[in-house]
Amino acid sequence: MAVAVPPTGTPEPASELADAAPQPSRRGSPPGAFVRLYGVFLRHLLTWGRATVIVALGGLAVLVALAVNVAANEASSTTDPVTAGTELMNRFGFTTVVPICALVFASSALGDTVDDRTLVYLWLTPVARWRMAAAATLASATVALPLVFVPLVLAAAATGAGGALMGGTAVATIVGVIGYSGVFVTLGLKFKRALVWGIAYILIWEGFVATASETAAKLSLRAYTASILSQYTGVGLRLGTLTLGSSLLVPPLVALAFTALTARLLARTDVD
Amino acid sequence: MTAALDHRVGGVEPGPDRTPMVAVDACTRWFGDVVAVSEVSFALDAGVTALLGPNGAGKSTLLRLICGLVAPARGTVRVLGRDPRRDIDVLRHLGLVPQQETVFDRLNALELVELCAALRGVGSPRDAAAHALGLVELDPADPRPLPTYSRGMRQRVKVAQAIVHDPRVIVLDEPLTGLDPRQRRHMTDLFHQLGDQGRCVIVSSHVLEEVERFGSNVLVIVQGRLAAEGDFRAIRDLMDDRPHRIRIRTDRPHHVAGRLLAERSVVGLDVVDVDTVIVETDRVHDLRRSVAVVARDEGATLWEVVPLDDDLDSVFRYLVGR
Repeated sequence: MAVAVPPTGTPEPASELADAAPQPSRRGSPPGAFVRLYGVFLRHLLTWGRATVIVALGGLAVLVALAVNVAANEASSTTDPVTAGTELMNRFGFTTVVPICALVFASSALGDTVDDRTLVYLWLTPVARWRMAAAATLASATVALPLVFVPLVLAAAATGAGGALMGGTAVATIVGVIGYSGVFVTLGLKFKRALVWGIAYILIWEGFVATASETAAKLSLRAYTASILSQYTGVGLRLGTLTLGSSLLVPPLVALAFTALTARLLARTDVD
Repeated sequence: MTAALDHRVGGVEPGPDRTPMVAVDACTRWFGDVVAVSEVSFALDAGVTALLGPNGAGKSTLLRLICGLVAPARGTVRVLGRDPRRDIDVLRHLGLVPQQETVFDRLNALELVELCAALRGVGSPRDAAAHALGLVELDPADPRPLPTYSRGMRQRVKVAQAIVHDPRVIVLDEPLTGLDPRQRRHMTDLFHQLGDQGRCVIVSSHVLEEVERFGSNVLVIVQGRLAAEGDFRAIRDLMDDRPHRIRIRTDRPHHVAGRLLAERSVVGLDVVDVDTVIVETDRVHDLRRSVAVVARDEGATLWEVVPLDDDLDSVFRYLVGR
């Protein structure tokens, strides 16, 4: 519906507002709401500061991978490049780079809107809460994925371990980013100082508790990325004992479950 | 009957055949050990209502309850007959100017207002956003991001996003903060027009001069409780424990004051000048009728009969001071 825009500085009587504003449709989320929210989250998340940190972390992974390659190829070395490269990607790429990157972006998606009190502008709309949660999760994964995917696949290539490790790294990165994004969007909404809580989760749960038993390992996303690497390269890894099918399936399901939890929290949270 | 109901004047009483636009019933909300809002009940319909209270009285919490941003611990809130906390469809008809200054710092004014319009289901969000910005005298074509705006300009953007979807209920938390006098006047006129068009406009403020311009219908909240509701002049009349103070200027103040005292029209008096006496009365209507008669009988010339404490400021001070 076309609306006559008043010239700047010329107030128009409010009586014209009712005529100008198209009437909202009756029920359900407004059409296009998901795309609008996704776009806002994307713009909000992608800052130079965050991108620089993640790219630097990825660059470090590439440098370390090059060093591993050089060490493995020395004449005196007894280390197989595939084993050395796979262990490097598992230890550095999937216990540090992927979860930290997902944490930085996903915990900010809704967490920043809580901290700066802008959530009210999104919350006070007739948009289903699951759409908000899904848009935040998807935007986080969209921003995080290219920033870790490219350097980690480059790092895998730099190890000289071959195409299997590159393929495994690529798939595990996608799966890991999706899973962690779901978890950390919830964390950002629920907790202040979500970065600290997230790092504690990565160090304590993923790094320590998950190694205690097979059952605990299944509750750790790291076990699924390790299993994907292990299945692709044939290198036995600690925690990497799960099937490829379950490793591909479970992290996205975790993201879905946490998206549902985020939606529930959004519906019940007190908004400032 | 609660203290709040003692001063309820002219509020909308929910009846069996009509639903008030905003109905708050026995609402209580606390944060930790602090009771922010306690057993508050009122109902509002179209028009502008000012929500008054000192800092920390619970005004913002009450507005957040109305918008569904927080849930009441006890009691119910209904906007257009629906629970804004559970029924998100009613949010299409609700607009809020939040108290906080922060807005999305990576958007410009048009983008923010357009976003709010789109998320609230407006069919042509960009056009509606441009129009709403025009109403608050902002340039829709201004490409600058919001952090570069002055405080007053951001405040106007917040008003634009609150009205862009033509809501039936508009909640404004300290909406005139940061505005210059001309903009304050423009906004006040805008709120009045919205109220006159049948929208329920609730405006909170602790600046009484502003509130008086919004009209006479007030909700006064003190320490989380509704202290009074309705037309503040009528509220003043109901305050039996606070005698009205009236200044009378006449050429024979002692004679006039003496007669009024003898007729028991006044309960106290103070001759403050050679031509001025301030009387206190708990029968203000009787006094208004009798003062002219007394002056005529005493052969006095009346120059001025001015109530000193039936303005909003006095009503507010009395309510807060209880």
